Amino acid sequence: MFLTPEIIAIYTLNIIFLFFSIFAFIISINIVMHWNVNRTDERQYGLEKKSILVATIIKFIFILKLPLFIFFVFTANKISGVITGAMCAAGVVNSISFGLWLFVFKILNLFIFGFWIALHNMDTKDEQLSLTKLKFSIFIVAFMLLVIEIIYEISFFSSLNIDKIVSCCGTLFSVASSSSFSFIFNIPSSIAIGFFYLIFSLLVVFSFLKNEPLFLVINIIFFITALISLILFFGTYIYELPTHHCPYCFLQQEYYYVGYLLYITLFIGTFSGISGSILSMLNRKNRKDFYKKSLLFNSIYVAIVTAYPIVYYIKNGVWL
Amino acid sequence: MKINHYLIGFAISSLFRRDAKSFFIIFIFTSLIFLLSSILFISNSIKEELFITLDSLPQITVQKLQAGRHANIEISRVDKLLKLNGVQSAIPRVWGYYYFENAGVNFSIVGIDSFDKQYKKNFEELVENIDFDELEKNDSMIVGEGVKEILSQNYYKDFFNFVKADGELKKIKISSVFKSSTVLESNDIILMPKNLVLDIFGMSKLKVTDIVLEVANPQEIPTISQKIKNLFPDTRVITNSDLRVSYQNIFDYKSGMFLALFVVSAFTFFMIIYDKASGLSSEEKREIGVLKALGWKIDDIIKIKFYEAFIVSFISFLLGIIVALFFVYILQAPLLRDIFMGYSRLKPAFELPFILDLQTIFLLFFLTIPIYIAAIIIPSWRVAIMNADEVMR
Repeated sequence: MFLTPEIIAIYTLNIIFLFFSIFAFIISINIVMHWNVNRTDERQYGLEKKSILVATIIKFIFILKLPLFIFFVFTANKISGVITGAMCAAGVVNSISFGLWLFVFKILNLFIFGFWIALHNMDTKDEQLSLTKLKFSIFIVAFMLLVIEIIYEISFFSSLNIDKIVSCCGTLFSVASSSSFSFIFNIPSSIAIGFFYLIFSLLVVFSFLKNEPLFLVINIIFFITALISLILFFGTYIYELPTHHCPYCFLQQEYYYVGYLLYITLFIGTFSGISGSILSMLNRKNRKDFYKKSLLFNSIYVAIVTAYPIVYYIKNGVWL
Repeated sequence: MKINHYLIGFAISSLFRRDAKSFFIIFIFTSLIFLLSSILFISNSIKEELFITLDSLPQITVQKLQAGRHANIEISRVDKLLKLNGVQSAIPRVWGYYYFENAGVNFSIVGIDSFDKQYKKNFEELVENIDFDELEKNDSMIVGEGVKEILSQNYYKDFFNFVKADGELKKIKISSVFKSSTVLESNDIILMPKNLVLDIFGMSKLKVTDIVLEVANPQEIPTISQKIKNLFPDTRVITNSDLRVSYQNIFDYKSGMFLALFVVSAFTFFMIIYDKASGLSSEEKREIGVLKALGWKIDDIIKIKFYEAFIVSFISFLLGIIVALFFVYILQAPLLRDIFMGYSRLKPAFELPFILDLQTIFLLFFLTIPIYIAAIIIPSWRVAIMNADEVMR
């Protein structure tokens, strides 16, 4: 275990998050058990006031978690300089057996917390506060996930071992590897690319049809296929290297930090699609502008990743 | 979420209305941020300076270990090392520390032979300009600036008496003073012909302190160091990247230690803010009562409190960083830089190079602003849920 300033910062924030979310968790249980809009007694008024506190806490956590996620990747990249064998965050994350799960939980929690805030904004506009019980039940689940993430994160940093030699991303993301990623490489890249553009065109069609369940499903599929095709195909064009598939290296300076742009547009695009669809299914009166937003950001993502192979082809006259 | 600029305006004017209190908080918070960012800036700068020095250090150093300690290595091993594929040159080095009791300092004495290839660029220039055979005949040496100063303070103007291993005195003249671009590495150095060094330290002529290797292709360094280990199991092989990693660790550890202490003071600050934000004057209470009576929602009042907190912490953040930049890079961080420099009487005087990266700013941001805002969440909610009639009564 080693304490760099970055890790101490992450620990400190995690402790603050934990402290406040435990507070919010206890209130949420109370609200789920005793909430009744029709009652006019002291307890109901108290709960209504407390629900505002919980919402404030969750907003606080979410607004910090967004940049903190980027900071986490930044930190992992920095630590890779110290750990033997690691060249980017991939080596660091995979040096611990649950490193990948930490990442999965981080992304999942961002989606859930973001969705919670969207739900909350819709709920406060409703005079009946009909979604309150639902949103606090969701928070109870989100709290569990947050605790798991924090436990993972603390044990992740404390079990990092400087002396251990880890695999670099070049071997982790290759056909021959036996890591958790290798199943991806059994998919022929032509099929993955075809599928990726097929899903994207379906996403465009559905956004004009304005059918929420379809749009929800297609966004989830798009998120997954986008990641797979990025590792399989588009990544190699960003690196201009047919054997390098790492989804972390392009977060580094050598590639002009393009990875942050890619992941952020992809996140905003799919997140607004998913949460917008769910909210509209819950409440018919919800505004429909999420179709446009989701389509816009997903298209920006597709445009950037498509540009890389095309520019490469124009420059060199061959495909990788 | 839309930002209402009327609310921001209201927050700013309410900060001005309580100028003494706001000023006090900004002052404390600024000093905290200033202290923290100075430490991080200094550590980054020294690390950078060391990394620059690192590039001029040998790619591989081979030392002999005996009973777990460093021992002198046989000079005959140089030829065997040269036979390894990929090794461009192997230079035996003779060097050591000489403790000068009167001043309580250590000099680094480095042996130089004019016909040897030099492992450092600035040594190479010296060898070209100075005739080391002449130095050997006259028993003289070349000293670094810091050494020269210490010696003349002790009235050794043109020579110095070294005490040899067997207790005899060896008188060596000072022939010249040499300067180098990086003060950190040359301040305490004495250069003299190898034979003189061997004589002073009482070392065998068949042994040297260590051997440094140059490798044509840097990517072969790990393989070659493994081969050396197999060839001579009693050696310790130190590569360039080993040094880089340990430098990084030392500095991360040092600033980490400081930060661990800082966390304590940050939590104290958290308590102060919590307390300040909870204890409202009757006037402030009346103000909130009036706002609520005018139809403000709980959310609006919490929002105002957040805007106030954000403005205060952001101003302190900017001020703290600007003052720290001034303190570290213009005043060269008096007092604080000693934490990192370690202590030595021959401490070199060098400028901290200017380094400011996004990550450090990010780090400072995460360590300060969230703590402040977290401290006001519960107090401002408490304030916001007060009933208008209760507080105005």
